[in-house]
Amino acid sequence: MKRYLILEDGTVFPGVGFGSSIITTGQLVISNNRTGIEQSVTDPDAEGQILAFAIPSIGSSGINRDFYESINSQCKGVVIGSSSPSTIDGSISFGDWIASLGIPGIKNVDVRELSKHIAEHGEMKASIMDTHDEHAIDQIKALVLPPDLVKRVSTRQSYPNPNMGIKIVVVDLGLKYSILRQLSYRDCNSVIVNYNATPEEIENLHPDGIIFSNGPGSPSDIPQTIKTIKALQKKYPILGIGLGNLLIALANDCKIIKLAQPHHESSLAVKEVASGKIDFVNHNHSYTIDQKYIGSSDFIVTNICVADGSIEGIRHEYLPIMCVLFEPEAAPGPNDGYYVFDEFLDLIDSIKFQDDGGVDQW
Amino acid sequence: MAKEIIDGQTMTRALTRITYEIIERNKGIDDLVLVGIKTRGVYVAHRIESRLKQLENISIPVAELDITPYRDDVTHEEKNPADVVPQPLGVDINNKHVILTDDVLYTGRTIRAAMDALMTVGRPKKISLAVLVDRGHRELPIRADFVGKNIPTSQKEKIKVSMKEIDGEDKIEIE
Repeated sequence: MKRYLILEDGTVFPGVGFGSSIITTGQLVISNNRTGIEQSVTDPDAEGQILAFAIPSIGSSGINRDFYESINSQCKGVVIGSSSPSTIDGSISFGDWIASLGIPGIKNVDVRELSKHIAEHGEMKASIMDTHDEHAIDQIKALVLPPDLVKRVSTRQSYPNPNMGIKIVVVDLGLKYSILRQLSYRDCNSVIVNYNATPEEIENLHPDGIIFSNGPGSPSDIPQTIKTIKALQKKYPILGIGLGNLLIALANDCKIIKLAQPHHESSLAVKEVASGKIDFVNHNHSYTIDQKYIGSSDFIVTNICVADGSIEGIRHEYLPIMCVLFEPEAAPGPNDGYYVFDEFLDLIDSIKFQDDGGVDQW
Repeated sequence: MAKEIIDGQTMTRALTRITYEIIERNKGIDDLVLVGIKTRGVYVAHRIESRLKQLENISIPVAELDITPYRDDVTHEEKNPADVVPQPLGVDINNKHVILTDDVLYTGRTIRAAMDALMTVGRPKKISLAVLVDRGHRELPIRADFVGKNIPTSQKEKIKVSMKEIDGEDKIEIE
């Protein structure tokens, strides 16, 4: 069935519909992921987004249905080039799988041309439709994307991820399950709370450390979480990932800017400033921290993107706060970034050690 | 048989973390001096120095310290008072915050000797201790401020630290 990907600026890309046959609108995001499309599609970061995969032939090695990053949240649409992958065992096609999630897709789209267009004109709204008349284009132009993306993906009810180790409260801004997998792997006893949880609610859980997770949308959409960070950051070790990092930066007088070329790529090189070590990690963010203000803040830059020199990780000079903008939990992508979780647990340990040993307090 | 308990990557990470902690616990690192205890402590000091330079763009002076003349396991008869002459460090430590670095913290006797050696050449404002491994079994009231890894050991075991600069690779073994 012939369908059309229509961009906000009126550009039309014809293709063939697959997956669910509903009409969809959302923010068009170009993803350079070669693998792990099943993880990208189920990533809560993709809430409200139409994901276009820039690699012309993807998923030829098949998708793994066990690799999901959320149960309910999902992207608004999928745009792919020539291939329509099936599961590794061939039991279900990619189209049938996303149809079961209620996601529409469009294939045989010239994704190279599409990604070039977006690189030149910036990220924009888009729609997958059956027609491409004036009316359809006007509709997309008039569409206001909802600013409550985090509210829609964050867990409404707190829930535990019990284990016997260090106690972590994870503030869910659009949490990927792979973060919990990494915490479970390290025996962390974690509780996941809504993005709107008050500082008192979090303190009542008596955590050893707090993680502000990745999530969709812009950090300016959730000012209340910035207040929560301000209230808690002098009391607990904090790890910020992705959106969580941006919020922590905003809570400490840093400025946020949009990246000229957004990072949506499962394997992009990041340099650890201290040691010069290069890691290939998963990126999924359109914003970064403005370099201009970092010098006057209390943060030091710990990681930078090799490709464009943008900030990928910061650390507070005096408080136990560490942040990364990339996604250390991978999923998809190489596992070079797992060390961030070890480093956070080491940070918590070193503070506990001080509390026990009576070395100079923070 | 030697068993590798820490690989190169973990050692690198530990040194980076020690560096972060040094920054975190010192408001301003301008008055720091790193003093490495020969042999591997010197490499530890240099690695911390290079990290501080990358992160803060400040060069911290690094000095090497040979504690042999100050050891307490040399008997009084063997000890020649002429040996214990103040060794010039090449760095002024007066009124500075000295961070002593070593690879392994065990009985604490090496550190005591190092502090004696430091005191003969100056009067630091403060002395802190950074070690890659704390293996326990102290015989003196000494503890480290910055620890790469706490490794509980029995006294029968041996901890062997290898560093690229002298041993060709980074690793820590126990046997």
